[in-house]
Amino acid sequence: MQESDYVAAPVVKLDTLSDVNDIGKPWRYQDENFTVTRSCPWSPPGCHPVGCGLKLYVDENGRLEKVEGDENHPVTQGRLCPRCIALKDYVYSPARIFKPMKRARRDRGNADAWQEISWDEAFAIIKIYYERIVKEYGHEAIVGFSGTGREGGTMSLYPTMVFGTPNYCYTQSGYACYTPRLAAVAYIVGCTYPEWDYAGALPGRWEDERYELTECLIFWGKAPLESNPDGFFGHAVIDAMRRGTRTISIDPRVNWLATRSDIHLQIRPGTDTALGLAMLNIIINEDLYDHDFVEYWCYGFNELAERVQYMTPENAAEICQVPVEKIYAAARMYATAKPAAIMWGLAVDQKTNGMQNGQVIIDLQAITGNLDRPGGQLLPGADAGHNELGFGFAESIGPELMSKMVGLDKYPAYCNMILNAQADMMLEALETDEPYPIRMGFYMGNNLLACTSMEPKRWHDAIIKSLEFCIGIDTFMTPSIEATCDLFLPIATVAEREGTVFTHYAPCTVTAGFMHKAIDCGGLPSDMELAYELGKYLHPERFAKWANAHELVEQFRLGVNEHGEYFDRVSECVVAQIPIEYYKYEKGLLRPDGMPGFATPTGRVELWSSAFNQFGEDPLPYYEEPEFGPVASPELMEEYPFVLTTGARVTAFFHSEHRQIPYLRELNPDPIVEINPKVAQEYNIADGQWVKISSPFGECVQKAVVCECVDEKTIHAQHAWWFPEEDGNEPNLYGVFRSNINNLLPNGHMGKLGFGAPNKCLICKIEPTAESYDTDMQAIWEKFGTLV
Amino acid sequence: MATNGLLIDYEYCTHCGSCEVSCKEEHGYPVGKGGIKVLGDGPWKIDEDTWNWNWYPLPTDLCDLCADRTAKGKEPICAHHCLSSIIKYGEVEELAKELARKPKQFLIVPQYKPLEARGQFVHVDKGTEHRAAHMDISGTGEATFGAHRHDAKVGDYETEA
Repeated sequence: MQESDYVAAPVVKLDTLSDVNDIGKPWRYQDENFTVTRSCPWSPPGCHPVGCGLKLYVDENGRLEKVEGDENHPVTQGRLCPRCIALKDYVYSPARIFKPMKRARRDRGNADAWQEISWDEAFAIIKIYYERIVKEYGHEAIVGFSGTGREGGTMSLYPTMVFGTPNYCYTQSGYACYTPRLAAVAYIVGCTYPEWDYAGALPGRWEDERYELTECLIFWGKAPLESNPDGFFGHAVIDAMRRGTRTISIDPRVNWLATRSDIHLQIRPGTDTALGLAMLNIIINEDLYDHDFVEYWCYGFNELAERVQYMTPENAAEICQVPVEKIYAAARMYATAKPAAIMWGLAVDQKTNGMQNGQVIIDLQAITGNLDRPGGQLLPGADAGHNELGFGFAESIGPELMSKMVGLDKYPAYCNMILNAQADMMLEALETDEPYPIRMGFYMGNNLLACTSMEPKRWHDAIIKSLEFCIGIDTFMTPSIEATCDLFLPIATVAEREGTVFTHYAPCTVTAGFMHKAIDCGGLPSDMELAYELGKYLHPERFAKWANAHELVEQFRLGVNEHGEYFDRVSECVVAQIPIEYYKYEKGLLRPDGMPGFATPTGRVELWSSAFNQFGEDPLPYYEEPEFGPVASPELMEEYPFVLTTGARVTAFFHSEHRQIPYLRELNPDPIVEINPKVAQEYNIADGQWVKISSPFGECVQKAVVCECVDEKTIHAQHAWWFPEEDGNEPNLYGVFRSNINNLLPNGHMGKLGFGAPNKCLICKIEPTAESYDTDMQAIWEKFGTLV
Repeated sequence: MATNGLLIDYEYCTHCGSCEVSCKEEHGYPVGKGGIKVLGDGPWKIDEDTWNWNWYPLPTDLCDLCADRTAKGKEPICAHHCLSSIIKYGEVEELAKELARKPKQFLIVPQYKPLEARGQFVHVDKGTEHRAAHMDISGTGEATFGAHRHDAKVGDYETEA
């Protein structure tokens, strides 16, 4: 972006907002006794980079007293979700950690052994271990565990420039979150995520003359309202529906949006690709596709047309267990609506053949001519944002070290795409010392035992056994840090830091927001500042070009080095809309060479994918039965009669966070498993009763909600539960293994390219328990309700 | 003074929790209390393909329509933060016109602490007091056993005169 692009986005006032409001206020202003700082948060607390508008009210004593939604934001318009509304309770929680702490390795798992230390001592300890381990085992012996969504986990600074390791690792089996989708688009279309165009980047928003309202919007394995996925403001969906957009839901669960949809395809979990092939079959055979787009801009249409013949709608109806008429109706509605869009969710990634699921969705978007048209799928241009990946790689890692990345030889499509060690192979490396020992680690905003890792006990044992030194970087103690770390480094929350927030992590961005520091809680650093300070301490030469972290932020996020002055100037806009163009493939805006077409080997959307072919994968989409389920493992179904699907999000929490914030916990006090009423009858389970859920891999207990949200063959269980109010010592570890649905999920069941995991299509059995583990909200209030 | 209320387009209430948490933050209510609560009905099947599933954000007896905010001309905090922007504050007469324009809405006028709003109990003298008379009376010499008919015999006992 140019400096001239960072201008405050025009305000579109909501009808529900009073005429007495703060529209037009600068980035900082006075309101009675408060200094109000406008900001667009990223993390912590964790969130995807939506960057909703915030007004932070700070009193004369420098204390954050109130948080309110900023009506100057073009997309959120003053609206805010409960997590930021309760931000003050997060910032001043009595459970928050404000000082670095150390503990001897033998004291891992002892919650009382932590000792507060100075930052100087903390850095000195890191230096001793870092230098010894590198000398003894090499830089590759260090692993950085990244979590989901938070800035610290997605930026590559810690692993590259600070510790110089090629082993940056998101610890979820098959990287089954977002990246398989990104990879599918990169290989087939030559760009990153094609987001639904909700006029977020247009100054007039929905009324902008360049915009055309989406006629049909498909939610495919996605819960946008609760998840604000990847920087998309979830309730933009409601804004569109209120204007007349009609919807189709593809989801094994009956969620609220599904009950508002014209068509709900309540498919058997994991069968999405069969459905997609059948929709392609109908659209091609009934001649409902966009002939011009296919002829001029697609490659391999005839091969695709031939491939999809095997998946007749009747065939898919049987596989997916939905009425065939609904498949016909959905394909016809989507193909005839103009414009139409598909929002594809995490469910696409969380199956072994997720890449093929992604492929059929892109094929649908392409052959109906919806790529890069207003109200269709917005494509990121060649000049899209400053992607975080790769920053610092060349100067800090280099080709030789890079070649040692765990999993690179076996899964190049995975490791090269996201510059990450392959997760399942990292677990094996920790367990076996093969291909080489891993001896030091750090968590950059990851609570893997509670949230991102399958078979968490395996990760627990492997980390404790292998790592001689492990650092936790977070705002609160987590079970993962409690169990495995020797050092805790506390970081600042969004209210205490500066920075940027680009929706979709930079590519396919509609708004660029700026974080402004409103308060100080003991000078805690942001992830960027900590990376700068620690990096400079360990490797002064790598950081010499920046006088301070402010300059690093400017360079890293804005691609400019003007000693922070550029950042200071442009950040005053608080939130800007990114100028966009439609039909970029006609204008030479999708490719680095400036020529028309797509950035793929053939210059077209590759319905027959040369990249897939090159990686030894089938170039055309195909359906694969979930490995565990009624078709592929009928013998196992005798013991485990239900299909288990997990991980649907709720607004109260960001994954494993926020359990210690009373107002948020109150919205969802206990881990919930959804069970159909007929199943509950059969198994003598009462609504609200605690239930043991087991799979061939493990078990946990959750509290039953008996409802028709799921059918009689399916169970849905919440993820990422732990109990910060409980004893943190081993073996309890804040109860992290008690209600942990990841106990039931395996590692090592990814697809050919190393991507995907069967987290949303496993099998399980259930039985009622006599015990109750109900959360006592009064105890939560007493423990966490008094702010510090 | 005009009566103010909330017009709620419950067709689009997704139960995100923003109204509930906003209200607690604004008023400092502890867990278990609040000025607004989202109640739900569903999902249950109307027929094979359609569902009933509605959420209803309902003001409680602790809703003061954000008196401090509305005194300054601002909207109540729940209306400000509602992610679907379906809570509209205003004069009931104006809101009633909007109510007529679209189905699946309701208009509600809450009352803050209704018991307190009634005020302290005060006796009103209506001049209808009956004054007790001063008369000489004598005893019967026997205890009466409560609820029995006077002619029913339920045991053998006598009282001493």
